[in-house]
Amino acid sequence: MIPPPRPGIIDCDVHPGPKSIDEIKMHMKPPFKDRWNGGGRGFFGNPVHGARLDSKPPNGGGPGSDPEFMRQQLIGEFGMGHVVLLPRAFCNLHPDPDLGTAIAAAFNDWMNETWLGTYNPDGVFKGSITVAHQDPQAAAREIERWAGHPHFVQVMTDSGARAPFGQRQYYPIYEACERHGFPFAIHPGTDGMGINVQPTPGYPTHYIEWHTCLSLSFQAHLVSFITEGVFERFPGFKVVLVEGGVSWLPPLIWRLNAEWRALRMEVPWVKRRPDEYLRDHVRLTSQPLERPDKDEWLLSIFEMMDAEQTLMYSSDYPHWDFDSPKTAFPKLPEAMRKRIFEDNARELYGLQLESAPAADREMAAAGGR
Amino acid sequence: MRERKRHVVGLASEIPPGGRKIVEVEGRSIGVFNVHGTFYALRNQCPHQGAPLCRGSIKGLTLPSAPGEYLWAREGEILRCPWHGWEFDLTTGKTICEPDRTRVRTYEVTVERAGDEEDTSDGETGGAGDGETGGAGDGETGEGSSLKAEEIPPDVETYPVTVEEDRIVLHL
Repeated sequence: MIPPPRPGIIDCDVHPGPKSIDEIKMHMKPPFKDRWNGGGRGFFGNPVHGARLDSKPPNGGGPGSDPEFMRQQLIGEFGMGHVVLLPRAFCNLHPDPDLGTAIAAAFNDWMNETWLGTYNPDGVFKGSITVAHQDPQAAAREIERWAGHPHFVQVMTDSGARAPFGQRQYYPIYEACERHGFPFAIHPGTDGMGINVQPTPGYPTHYIEWHTCLSLSFQAHLVSFITEGVFERFPGFKVVLVEGGVSWLPPLIWRLNAEWRALRMEVPWVKRRPDEYLRDHVRLTSQPLERPDKDEWLLSIFEMMDAEQTLMYSSDYPHWDFDSPKTAFPKLPEAMRKRIFEDNARELYGLQLESAPAADREMAAAGGR
Repeated sequence: MRERKRHVVGLASEIPPGGRKIVEVEGRSIGVFNVHGTFYALRNQCPHQGAPLCRGSIKGLTLPSAPGEYLWAREGEILRCPWHGWEFDLTTGKTICEPDRTRVRTYEVTVERAGDEEDTSDGETGGAGDGETGGAGDGETGEGSSLKAEEIPPDVETYPVTVEEDRIVLHL
């Protein structure tokens, strides 16, 4: 039986890790089992620390590898109702699409068995299906494999790519997402790594440059989705921009609206003004939330981007730039706070508390701040 | 302003240079640090997002320098927040990035010889049990032991013994 949705904050970006790479490799077959030995994105490591220093589980293992400790640091401390897990497979950088597909499948099997299986009796953990977009047909088959799973709630990929995501080679993935009601989440990673293009003019020198500019590929992917007509072709398809930044959205869309007024004839399938596709098809997660000198500036941006509909809270636990639900945001109007911290994600992922007693709902609201 | 209270939070020998101890005083979590032989105390809460600041790493810093040049300095004097890595000057509590704007609360620390004065500390102090010691002296908290006369056979000549160790006192 599937546990019902839980009240509380929905955290839309949390990273679980295996206790050891053998937990992943046990789900792989030769030859790929022997060819893959873990490994991250390769370079641009954080020069200070990559994960919260206090996220290392006391009983050993890496940050995010101990479900009890994660529960303590997220659910215990902040009262989260659900956390949406995005494992970091970095499978999108490999030149061999079959290797990428094998890594993705192994991570999904591992998630199914552990975080969405034995670790998840109460259903607090919701997961993401990792796909290797090097081979969109294989990625679509991988999505099919998990269709109907009670706890996989979306498909995920790295932002690193060889071409903008609106292009037609990717459509088997979107077709499968639409058919099974999975939003497509894009998370930073593997930009400029392996086979993927770096979305700056050449490689930046420092981590600070690379990390600041992570939003560049998100901007390019978003413009591509809209101008290629992906949302016209797949009207039920939803995109989640995870950890790609927030405040850049309004001016980019104003720019695109302006271009569209003049150049609509080039892309006649873009039948609506570009910003209209956002509300129906695109959600952003909040972390790392920009904090300008004045809170009202950020609140103005929230208004400009219709954050009450488009923004979903995320912490990025256990990574170094964790955003606490208590302190990352300025004080928000209650209705907006509730939508950002809960309702937008509940609606997107089908986690509504329809049948929950009113007392539970009040408890959930009180747990927010 | 109310009068500050003394809180004995441990023995100086518990915290060697480069070490730290996190204590609970008047409901606050406070980190006591030994920086090159001098003790400093900082509130264990980052002013940015509330992280347990005093569990961060103790490092040096790169001084402002010409482009392309690295000048490493102040080893052991900089506390980096365990979450976002903001640098704090252990000796002042100020951030390195915006020292006049963002700082963590600091507390006065003194080191006193046992017996130098009456122990006027209140009952909330001496939280040795819940403190987390770090550094080389980890785990070797020297209990202030003294011999108990009744355990010694009466035919042995005895002398009064006291152990005078430096104590760390927080004033807040």
